[in-house]
Amino acid sequence: MSNAQVGNVYQQIIADVIESSRVDFEEGGVDASALDELRQVRVHSHLQRPLPSNSLLHVVATFPWDPKPEPPQAIVQPPTVPSNAGSYMNNSPNGQPQPMPQMHPINNHGNVTRIKPDPGMENPAGGQGPYQSQPLPAIPNATPAQQRAAQHLQNSYGQRAAASINAIQGAAQQPGNAQPNMQQHMQMQQQRQMQMQQQQLRGGPMPPQMAARPSMSSEQYKQAIATQTQQKNQLHGGQSAQPQNGPHIKVENGLNAAQTDGAGDEDEVVGLVKQFNENGEEIGMARVEIDGLIRQKIEVMGQKMEGGGLMLPLKQASTPSKRQRKVARSAASDLAQHDGPGSDDDKKDDDFDEDAINSDLDDPDDGLNDEEDDDEGMGHIMLCMYDKVQRVKNKWKCVMKDGVLTVNGKEYVFHKAQGEYEW
Amino acid sequence: MAANTQAFYELYRRSSIGMALTDTLDDLISDRRIEPQLAMKILANFDRSITEALADKVKARLTFKGHLDTYRFCDEVWTFLIKDVTFKMDNQTQPVIAEKIRIVSCNSKRPGDPQ
Repeated sequence: MSNAQVGNVYQQIIADVIESSRVDFEEGGVDASALDELRQVRVHSHLQRPLPSNSLLHVVATFPWDPKPEPPQAIVQPPTVPSNAGSYMNNSPNGQPQPMPQMHPINNHGNVTRIKPDPGMENPAGGQGPYQSQPLPAIPNATPAQQRAAQHLQNSYGQRAAASINAIQGAAQQPGNAQPNMQQHMQMQQQRQMQMQQQQLRGGPMPPQMAARPSMSSEQYKQAIATQTQQKNQLHGGQSAQPQNGPHIKVENGLNAAQTDGAGDEDEVVGLVKQFNENGEEIGMARVEIDGLIRQKIEVMGQKMEGGGLMLPLKQASTPSKRQRKVARSAASDLAQHDGPGSDDDKKDDDFDEDAINSDLDDPDDGLNDEEDDDEGMGHIMLCMYDKVQRVKNKWKCVMKDGVLTVNGKEYVFHKAQGEYEW
Repeated sequence: MAANTQAFYELYRRSSIGMALTDTLDDLISDRRIEPQLAMKILANFDRSITEALADKVKARLTFKGHLDTYRFCDEVWTFLIKDVTFKMDNQTQPVIAEKIRIVSCNSKRPGDPQ
């Protein structure tokens, strides 16, 4: 029966599309996890019945500390090395990139654990990764997961990840987290901290002492600030921050400055978010807080756009016919113009007759369009190819092939179909 | 014509599986996970996959009868609107009855199409 075949055929199509698209994904340099998400094609929601279970739901693992989801299995995607990767390498004194140290952290039980490098992060040639800045010091009291997260962040983001690594170190040194194998507990705690900070952010500008996170020791906090300041100095040539009155959030973006020295390097696209207190001193912010600020700003921008009426929901937006009726009404009510020749906009009003004709044509009153719209909504449709269409008087005979038929909420596939109907 | 340069009908994108793929790709694009160009390539792959799968894997036959309400032939595409239609599958005793059905049908003898 053609209905029973549908699941298998669709499953095959999905697998085929995924396979043939893999090359395109690689060429586009897109994370392969998006490809795995494609596998979750929501056929069942359209068909109102589930497909065979093995075709479904390949759950993508995401890690709370991971800015970007990783593909669950080690496939496809070699780490793309930016052409300017050298700018992220802190040269060691002898000019050679330092080899990646194999990390042997000692956990609380005194056992030596080898940390397995992340797939795709292995560097056979002495570990010359793109962001090989410094060897990461082993974190005391850290669980292997924390070590690994810190190492991963360091590898992926180099200097920029310093704040996040500090946060992980801070969490590791909290007494509540001292036990090993309490990873879930740690993650929950981190998430709770994030939420707390976001709530504080929403509540208004933070007093400076609040910016010091409870999980950070003061030394680490200073270190984080030093990193940020260093980045700022690199970007802006040590230009001093100007004192401001009152709490003030300043967003600096390297892109805004006009560039005259050729193609940009990656440093140019790094934005800096700084917060100043009343005395013009800079308040150090952790990554989460900065993220929150950026999010707030983007939301404000979005609201502004919506205020312009550009992103109204479809139902509220005016349709062409409504608009024309409005034009007609205003044209009818407006008196003649006294202030000289009109602009382009006014010409439209002058062409009122044409609009009137069009508005008649645009009225969706004829029954045919209605019926077809209904059909699409109900989804009773057969998509196929025709071999032969014959007509004798009002009798029609058709031979169709390779079709998909959707009717009464069910789907059928067929190789050949014969239809007879009279008009 | 070489197989890799061949174009396939985009007709089947309106099927449930095509719509599901399109929705998913839309989501990925709006999440900035993929570029629209990549989505177009995937849809082109889908056109090829479903055409080949229907041609190679499906053997079922079907007959249907009804009253033709509207017919249209434009750009080599037949569109029928059939009312009170009865479908008979070759190995299903119970016919499927629908109030109306729309048929969109492209020419199978399209130049360059595999036959």
